[in-house]
Amino acid sequence: MAYAQAIFTNSAIYIIAAMGLAIFTGYTGLFSLGHAAFMAVGAYTAAILTYFYHWPLLPALLVGMIAAVLVSLVVGYPTLRAKLRSDYFAIATLGFGEALKVILENLDLTQGARGLPGIQKLAGPVNTAAWMVLAIWVCWNFLRSTYGRKIIAIGQDPVAAEMIGIRLLPNQMLSLGFSAALAGLSGGLLAHYITFIQPAIFSMDLSSLLTAGVVCGGMGSLTGPFVATALFVVVPELFRGLALWRLVLYGVLLVVIMNLRPKGLYGHEELNLSNLPKLFLIAGLTVGLTIGASVYNAYAPEWGGAPSLLLAALLGLGVTVAMNYAGRGLARLLQPVLPILSATWHRGFNHIVRLGDGVFVPWTRAAGAAATGDPGPQANTVAADKPLLSIRGLRKHFGGVIAVDSVDLDVWPGQIVGLIGPNGSGKTTVFNLTSGVYPIDSGTVTFDGRALAGQPPTSIVLGGISRTFQNIRLFSSMTVLDNVRTALHTASDYGLFAAFVQWPWTVRPTEERLRTRAMELLGVVGLEAYADRVAGTLPYGLQRKLEIARALALHPKLLLLDEPAAGMNPQESLDLVELIRRIHERTQLTVILIEHHMDVVMNLCERIAVLNFGKKIAEGTPDEIQSNPLVLEAYLGQKVEYAPQG
Amino acid sequence: MILQTIITGLSIGSIYALMAVGYSLVFSVLNFSNFAHGAIITLGAYIAWAIMVQFLRLPFLPALLLSILGAGILAFLNERIAYSTLRRRRAPSLYLMISAMGVAIALQNLLYATIGAKLYALPPVFAQDAFEVGGATISRMDLFAFVFSVVAIGLLHFGLMYTKVGTAIRAASHDMEMVSVLGVNLDVLVAVLFLIAGGLGGMAGVFMGVKYMVYPSMGWITNKAYIGAVIGGLGSLPGAIVGGMLLGLLEALVSVTTIGSVQLSTYRDVFSFGILAILLIVRPTGLFGRLVEEKL
Repeated sequence: MAYAQAIFTNSAIYIIAAMGLAIFTGYTGLFSLGHAAFMAVGAYTAAILTYFYHWPLLPALLVGMIAAVLVSLVVGYPTLRAKLRSDYFAIATLGFGEALKVILENLDLTQGARGLPGIQKLAGPVNTAAWMVLAIWVCWNFLRSTYGRKIIAIGQDPVAAEMIGIRLLPNQMLSLGFSAALAGLSGGLLAHYITFIQPAIFSMDLSSLLTAGVVCGGMGSLTGPFVATALFVVVPELFRGLALWRLVLYGVLLVVIMNLRPKGLYGHEELNLSNLPKLFLIAGLTVGLTIGASVYNAYAPEWGGAPSLLLAALLGLGVTVAMNYAGRGLARLLQPVLPILSATWHRGFNHIVRLGDGVFVPWTRAAGAAATGDPGPQANTVAADKPLLSIRGLRKHFGGVIAVDSVDLDVWPGQIVGLIGPNGSGKTTVFNLTSGVYPIDSGTVTFDGRALAGQPPTSIVLGGISRTFQNIRLFSSMTVLDNVRTALHTASDYGLFAAFVQWPWTVRPTEERLRTRAMELLGVVGLEAYADRVAGTLPYGLQRKLEIARALALHPKLLLLDEPAAGMNPQESLDLVELIRRIHERTQLTVILIEHHMDVVMNLCERIAVLNFGKKIAEGTPDEIQSNPLVLEAYLGQKVEYAPQG
Repeated sequence: MILQTIITGLSIGSIYALMAVGYSLVFSVLNFSNFAHGAIITLGAYIAWAIMVQFLRLPFLPALLLSILGAGILAFLNERIAYSTLRRRRAPSLYLMISAMGVAIALQNLLYATIGAKLYALPPVFAQDAFEVGGATISRMDLFAFVFSVVAIGLLHFGLMYTKVGTAIRAASHDMEMVSVLGVNLDVLVAVLFLIAGGLGGMAGVFMGVKYMVYPSMGWITNKAYIGAVIGGLGSLPGAIVGGMLLGLLEALVSVTTIGSVQLSTYRDVFSFGILAILLIVRPTGLFGRLVEEKL
């Protein structure tokens, strides 16, 4: 029993760290092989406080968490700023972990490699389990807040995230700090549970255990890392008799899971009715193995190897199958009950929240609500007497290729301007320069009276220019609703602490407002019916519309559409023309449109600019462009000569 | 004194370079850090130990050749078992890294579980081990390892530049999809790649074994050669060579330096990782790494 308790407590401790890493690796998409180091910081800080200074556990744990966060930010800032790519970031964290280990081995305060023996046993199964539940709850809340959505967006597509105004560095730092706090907590608990820590405990093996738990469990999930980490702690323990072979088993388990389950155990899904049987199957396999192993151990001396192995296998298999069917049965049983339970729970919760309304609202929200009201759909207020966007002498070269050469373009408020030209003529580069993806070589881009050169993409976006992409860049594992809701991040007004606890009096009204606004935007593009679908599963044409809705969520003054009709059939492009016209008429939104479908361009645009080999060769009304010989030459490749009649 | 340090540095650096080339070869085509390469290197050393000491008691050269062959085949099997499914599925590199890590953990602990943690020495190869040049001692084995490493890397370079397979590998490092469309059998190409990387790794393992000892964790993921490969820029052969050499020199330098009463050799690993960290912050893709820009 004590042994089972030990396994349970160990699992809970590692799960706390794994939850943090799930946020950092699973959701933010950054691969760390050094999280054991943050555990070490938390463990040593907390242990030193209780050991030398006789602090109680709680403040020691908190200080340990703070220390881990500080260390993580010091290490994280330069590495995240340098935008290291996955392998390089992993090796940098790994290096940090190893270096910290060496430092701990040589510090006097930490008593070097001997470690700290005889730490008070202040953590046990009960308070560890409580901390674990708290950690999971906080992670869950965080992920369902504006802050969490920003981080998930970065994990799914950093470029698209920047293009809806999410700054990478601060949000990645937030994710790192949060995950380090949980690692620190986990370390502190570990120190006070096993009562003896030494640097060797926090080696790369531990980091890799956590990372493997997250990846095998499934990216973008909390359930997966929970199950996988528990599995990685429990399964080797079951085979303690096998001594070193259990680590071989662990290695093989990693390879098997990675190869058999493309998305890990629970990739991008949380525990629900439809995957409940899977959990039971996994638990069944584990219990089956346990029973099999103990039966074999018990009977092998008496009966000999083969018969006891047979019995063990039969019993283990039986238990596994039984558990599997129990899971399916339970899922079927819960099917009708669960919606009722959840509805009752929500009703009760809302009731309690309403009771508190009078108490909490006055000092938390009343003041803020009026000030930060969402502008909502309304006409843009831009001075109409000067161009909204003014490009002068814009130039960009890549190596020897001059992609954009001395381009001038004025876009007046409320216009729809078409940007056309053969493939490779520099249209998208003009967009990339305008939205700050590439730095400008020379020339100026003035938007709404401000020069854009040198501004980071996020501030250009927040300044009022949003865009879509030639190759669709949605947050494909998010729901359709969340794709839009993420882009509404600027309209959210609650603090980080409120997000951690989902403080009902600030978070709930804001989230409801964001949801309503997002549904409105989905209504504009006709996607309300798909709100709960995962974005990546939408048909192509609808994904394009969703991208437009997401761009509109930023309440832009200027919308850059990069080939919105690419790959659409004639009917779909007609629909799209209608949609763009509708959006334009509703808010007098200024639009620049890159497009190859000439019917779309000629239908929509008041003015058209034509690029060829990076130079603007023509500009004018659709009629002028259609009869311009230079344009015809660019498209057809030869001069049009009129043979004299008769 | 300084000459001696440089010689020591180059001799270990050349072995690091040989190991690092294996990481870079695989990374250049498959775009992931093959953490299992270190385990293959270790197994190469154990093969030599088994052949020279434990069972056949063959002389050095045949043992070296058999190690190269054995490690190459092991690397090939490693790819078949742990990576090929993921590769065909076009899984993200993270998944391949975890799978590689699984192989590394499994193989290392397999060694612990079967042969044990004991350190084994390989017999000395040359009877008269060292000679002197200008006041510095050069061990014959070091010189042999250095020359052999240089020749091996030279041969690899020649093969990559002037043979059909080499051209295919270089092309695949730019665009694997395209190469397969052009009619190259990717499975064969990857098999050749892993045979070469494994073979070089086996050779490096034997040299390491002769120079130091043979033990299960000699090729663990945090080994210096991998750090060298990262410093040089993953996926770049010149990078791997420069990175490996640089790290060897740095280690030799740190080992003989003391500041006040503190021997820097205690913090040797901190230095390697520190250099790595600083370099990555300044040059996020290492010295010679390619920066792949995404097209919007």
